[in-house]
Amino acid sequence: MPDTSDQHKDSIPFYPDHIRTEFWVTLGVLAIIILIGVAGMLAPVGIGDPADPLNTPAHVKPEWYFLALYQLLKFVPKTAGVVAPILALLLITIWPFIDRKTEKSPRPRLLRLVVVVVGLVVLIALTIWGEVS
Amino acid sequence: MRIFLLRRARLFAAIIITIGILLVISAFTRATALAGKTTVPSLPVSSLGESLIKASPVQPAILASSKLPPAPKEDLCLHCHVTGDNTGLWTPLARWVLFGSMGVIFAFGVYRSASVWKKRSPWIPIPKRLGSWVEERYQVSEPLAKFLGKPVPRYALHWWYCLGGITAFLFVVQALTGIMLAFYYKPTPEAAYASIQYIETQVFFGAAIRAIHHWAANGMIVVCIAHMLRVFIMGAYKRPRELNWVSGILLLVLTLGFGLTGYLLPWDQRAFWATTVASEIAGSIPAIGELVLVFLRVGWEVTSLTLSRFYALHIMVMPILTLGFMGAHFVMVRRQGIAKPL
Repeated sequence: MPDTSDQHKDSIPFYPDHIRTEFWVTLGVLAIIILIGVAGMLAPVGIGDPADPLNTPAHVKPEWYFLALYQLLKFVPKTAGVVAPILALLLITIWPFIDRKTEKSPRPRLLRLVVVVVGLVVLIALTIWGEVS
Repeated sequence: MRIFLLRRARLFAAIIITIGILLVISAFTRATALAGKTTVPSLPVSSLGESLIKASPVQPAILASSKLPPAPKEDLCLHCHVTGDNTGLWTPLARWVLFGSMGVIFAFGVYRSASVWKKRSPWIPIPKRLGSWVEERYQVSEPLAKFLGKPVPRYALHWWYCLGGITAFLFVVQALTGIMLAFYYKPTPEAAYASIQYIETQVFFGAAIRAIHHWAANGMIVVCIAHMLRVFIMGAYKRPRELNWVSGILLLVLTLGFGLTGYLLPWDQRAFWATTVASEIAGSIPAIGELVLVFLRVGWEVTSLTLSRFYALHIMVMPILTLGFMGAHFVMVRRQGIAKPL
């Protein structure tokens, strides 16, 4: 495992160089957070009608990050539509144990980039579709 | 000089005490002599003082015309009223000796202080002292130097390497704002909705804190997924970092779980029915679906028990798990370094 050693050819010390960069990034994120807070004072998140178990609203939707799954379930059989994402998640989890080759060329990286882009496009499309439908 | 003065310190003290006693005797004899006379010699007082003492009928006129009385000319010696006039020989002499000796002692004190100050040990800054205090007890400087001095590859400064750190920072933001919201939130169906309204309208900066918690939660999911995709594309999950990848996936699942459980807490229509739908999706998993559904809802319906369960999961179970996996994640990154970008 040569790439875990500390002896990189071109390295900077963790402190202060790396910490300084991280500090500025954190400060930038904090600025955005504070802006969100100010925006929240002007336009609060708000709250809908109180929950009523007897009154089902017309458009029942889950949170946006489950919208793709929700939309998928409209088209595929329910069991398959639920099992497939779980299996996909399991596959992603154990992926490092499946893909064990050490890379010598940038080709597999490009391949993965394409896979990610296609997957993201499908996911975003399903999410938007679920949002507008 | 110093030794001379120190050796004779007792002598000096004896002289000063003697002079003091002489002074007191002198003043006492003078006072008795004055008391022997029938008429007390009028002390030189200002005309204002005199007029006040005598309460003369002129006084109201003076006050009424608000003219200031003439300035005192005679009374220039205030302590003379205590120790007598400057007419004798012994009293002023004793006074001079007494105050002169005190002056000498004061000068000697200044000299001593100055020499002590000049011979003081060199000043150590207070942070340095604190550091040595801690170091003496816990010997932290060596591991700390090792921790801070660890070389990091220069390519780690690219922005896409910061996504994980941003996720961690957003987790801290969520923890802090979540604690703030928990001060006012009440996890029962009757009170939850009203307490959110109270946070939004009554609590100082309540709307801001809730907005930050709401939007940073969404942002955390986005940044988390971005971090994961970065690692995936670059192949940074490969040997020896397999377990780091697994812990990262678990952290993503936990983040989504935070979103799922937190969404129910306002207890409005959207929250209620979104939770109903989401738990229904979980319920359609074959074999264990019903078990998962009953575990999530605490029964077959979304009720107050569901709210309590989601609240406990959201504020206690999942933060603890997340902190554990985050710690493991960071330790592994630290141990193995940042993967080479090929």
